[in-house]
Amino acid sequence: MTEISYLAIGPVAALTLGVVVILLVEVSLKPRTGLLGLIAGASLLAGFAISVAQWVEASDDPVIRFRGMLALDPFAAFGAVVLTVLGAVALLVAWPLIVEQGRRAAEFIALVLLALSGMILMAASAHFIMLFLALEVASISLYVLAGFNRGSAASNEASVKYFLLGSFASAVFLYGVALSYAATGTLSINGTAEFLSDNLVLEPAALLAGIGLLIVGLGFKVSAAPFHMWAPDVYQGAASGVSGFMTAGAKVAGFAALARIAVTSYAPYISDWAPAVAVIAALSVLVGTLLAIAQSDIKRMLAYSSVAHAGFILTGLVAGIDGVPYIWFYVVTYAFQVLGAFAVVAVVSGPAGTRSPLTDYAGLARRAPVLAGSLALLMFSMAGIPLTAGFLSKLYVFREAVDAGYLWLVVLGAVTSVAGLFFYLRVIVLMYMKPQSEATASGGGETLVTDPIRVALTGVAVVTLAFGIVPGPLLDVVTNALPL
Amino acid sequence: MDFNVLSILVWLPVAGAAVVVGLPRRRPELVVPVAFALSALTLGLAGFLVFQFDTADAGFQFVEKTAIWSDLGIDYHLGVDGISLFLVALTAFLFPIGIVASVNVADRRKEFMATLLLLEGALIGVFLALDLIVFFVFFEVLLVPMYFLIGLWGGERRLEAALKFFLYTALGSAFLLVGIIFLSAQANDQFGSPSFNYLELLDLDISRSAQYWLFGAFGIAFAIKVPLFPFHTWLPDAHTEAPTAGSVVLAGVLLKMGTYGFLRFNLNLFPEATVQLAGFLAALAVIGIIYGAAVAIVQPDLKRLVAYSSVSHLGFVVLGIFALTSQGISGGVIQMVNHGLTTGALFLLVGMIYERRHTRDIADYGGIQKVMPWFAGFFLFTAFASIGLPGLNGFVGEFLILLGSYSRHPALAVIAAFGVLLAAVYLLWAYERIFTGEPDKEENKALSDIGLREVGILVPIVALIVLLGVYPKPVLDRIEPAVERVLDRIEDQTGFDSPLRIGDIAVEHGEEASP
Repeated sequence: MTEISYLAIGPVAALTLGVVVILLVEVSLKPRTGLLGLIAGASLLAGFAISVAQWVEASDDPVIRFRGMLALDPFAAFGAVVLTVLGAVALLVAWPLIVEQGRRAAEFIALVLLALSGMILMAASAHFIMLFLALEVASISLYVLAGFNRGSAASNEASVKYFLLGSFASAVFLYGVALSYAATGTLSINGTAEFLSDNLVLEPAALLAGIGLLIVGLGFKVSAAPFHMWAPDVYQGAASGVSGFMTAGAKVAGFAALARIAVTSYAPYISDWAPAVAVIAALSVLVGTLLAIAQSDIKRMLAYSSVAHAGFILTGLVAGIDGVPYIWFYVVTYAFQVLGAFAVVAVVSGPAGTRSPLTDYAGLARRAPVLAGSLALLMFSMAGIPLTAGFLSKLYVFREAVDAGYLWLVVLGAVTSVAGLFFYLRVIVLMYMKPQSEATASGGGETLVTDPIRVALTGVAVVTLAFGIVPGPLLDVVTNALPL
Repeated sequence: MDFNVLSILVWLPVAGAAVVVGLPRRRPELVVPVAFALSALTLGLAGFLVFQFDTADAGFQFVEKTAIWSDLGIDYHLGVDGISLFLVALTAFLFPIGIVASVNVADRRKEFMATLLLLEGALIGVFLALDLIVFFVFFEVLLVPMYFLIGLWGGERRLEAALKFFLYTALGSAFLLVGIIFLSAQANDQFGSPSFNYLELLDLDISRSAQYWLFGAFGIAFAIKVPLFPFHTWLPDAHTEAPTAGSVVLAGVLLKMGTYGFLRFNLNLFPEATVQLAGFLAALAVIGIIYGAAVAIVQPDLKRLVAYSSVSHLGFVVLGIFALTSQGISGGVIQMVNHGLTTGALFLLVGMIYERRHTRDIADYGGIQKVMPWFAGFFLFTAFASIGLPGLNGFVGEFLILLGSYSRHPALAVIAAFGVLLAAVYLLWAYERIFTGEPDKEENKALSDIGLREVGILVPIVALIVLLGVYPKPVLDRIEPAVERVLDRIEDQTGFDSPLRIGDIAVEHGEEASP
């Protein structure tokens, strides 16, 4: 139990080492941005390689290291693999924005890597205090990233809003941890499970309140309704180049943490928390979809759609451990989709832009067929049209929820996803069927697709189509990516 | 079989779409010939399928099955029986015609042809799929090319029509998906492993109350597609705004996915609910027959008139299916094919005159017969086929349907028969206003009659209309075993006794009525 495992902290160590090197190189050498990017790429690659090694190692022999702090299990390893790849794609997407930052580029890259290391730890934490620390590392980095554009009032507002509401959620989470500790006497995630399965809690009020508060705290991080209020403002206010990363990373890490504590610590109480999760899922799906319909700005629309997707992912959680593989499938493919969608936004409305009215997209198919094609594919996928990963994701979580007896939730989800078509299709209609408006025609010409974006979009499109048609390989992996 | 003919039928047009997109920009003249050749090849294969089809076998033939994801019980599983055979053939038949009819599409012609080919592949896939997820995937995916077809190349109000079409049908498929998932969960309970295999799901033991819900979930999806009254409101807009080839395909084949779905899934999977609800659905069908025809009479717009006539004709098909008799269901299947031919031809004719005059208002025409005698001839002929004149195809289907439904729902059959009368009213009255008399408007006097290409499009349809009208036996021979199987299954499962099984009455023009 006590021994140190370099493998367990390997991905995080690689990323933090990268951060240190980037910051030191920046102050001592004042290098070109390209070199910083190379260092970041190298540390991500190292992190990726180590997490693959973790996977290989942990598949046979999952363990907990650092005095019960960190899990070295397939769940954590898979989270690290996904997050390092996601981080690499996010840096590609943000690259024009990073270059624009000049001397502040190093800070930006460092913050992205720090956020990633926090997220990786969130998926790997085996202890509630560790989980809280990881959550804070990830969140604080994201607060700063949201306000990175110091000159923009919208960006500052986004940052402050995110910080205030985020801290509040962290406090709620901590209160939940405290109540859970009060009921079980342990802060270990697996220890809680052992305690609860060995002992009958006669007066479970404190425990149930604790579980509730934990769900609320993490529900805030993944922007599930009714804890989603911050999401549209923050995603809109943050620079377009980084909104995608904030959405995707927070979703992957948040759901990893939520899934781990729900299906391990509180597995014996599934009949108590699953209905609550189902209600949150239903609310998220409804609120996200209905409000997305009303949006005229694509970043706000994507933000509300991410609320709806949080609801769909939660639909998989009501099935407990059986749903975990499909939560992974959903959240991973969705993370890449949302990253790709924001990448297109970053090109169309400028990487540092905060506003991106839907009318900018009129006639995009003629101006930039690559962008329009990618965005159309992503919209179809998010809408859940077959042959895309988005369809299979929904199919899998729905199936699990039906098996778990939540037919009403599935009916609601299926019907709401039809309403969702309305706003996804609207983007496609604008791009393909409407002529370019006068305003954008005159200001046009900036829809130049740079190579990093092209690579990122190609990758995202391949993921979306490949896993939509041949889901087998990914399913094989996620069915094994279970927590200890 | 030495080669997977069904897979080729599905994927040849899809691959063809990629080929068409890949044609060099500098050679725009290649687009139509290549697209036509590919769809003609598909038609050839479909013809091969019809002739190779074993009339003695009531089950699925040419079956292909490969596990895609065995944990979830999803297979790539295709097969054809007498019910789907002619729908596949009809699809393959209408697409080359639609392509030739669209040579005048100037805007993004390459994309247009590719979209049509994609649609063809997906449609054939719908009729051949024996795995519910594969079925659903084709069912849902084909909305995308159809949506673009209406939205990009449609009439003035195309965006509204395209969105309405997409949302309506997607709403239906949401319920369908839930129903499919629920069935697979039932399979998990009863067989120990989840399954989406249609043939396995037939063995499920579904409680009566669950059957009602599932019948509803599947039924809403199909009723919207058909469209069955009162779910028909998307249809007039979509049909009217779609480009000619789009309308032909929409009316000719897409609507049949609904009636096919009822016949394939609702009747077989939920027999108890079917027997209980058949009267209700037959009543809705009859309302649709009368309502569609009545609304068609008062349409000032020729294309809308034809669109509403589809509501009426598809009502006949549904009435036949839910008569739950041999004649009714066989008539329903053959009427699906007939409607595809006649309504397809009517939309082609409307498209031809619209290309010349750029108006669909009946009031803008008059006395066209004098300037376009060939066109008038084809229109009148098709109208007669649509009305159900004996000797033409429409008669065979409607006669069988009315015969089959009379024995179960005499009152409904009598009312439905008035639908035939109303069809004569709206079509012949439209003919009178458009074609007869003297051409009194200047614009109409200069109209040119249809050319060789247009005659070439219409002649194959006309030939089939006559052939099916005079000698439907080869078609009925292939349909009937499959229909008998459906009825056997319903009788087995429910103790329902279908009156007048084939053999009690000779309907094959007096020939060899089997004992």
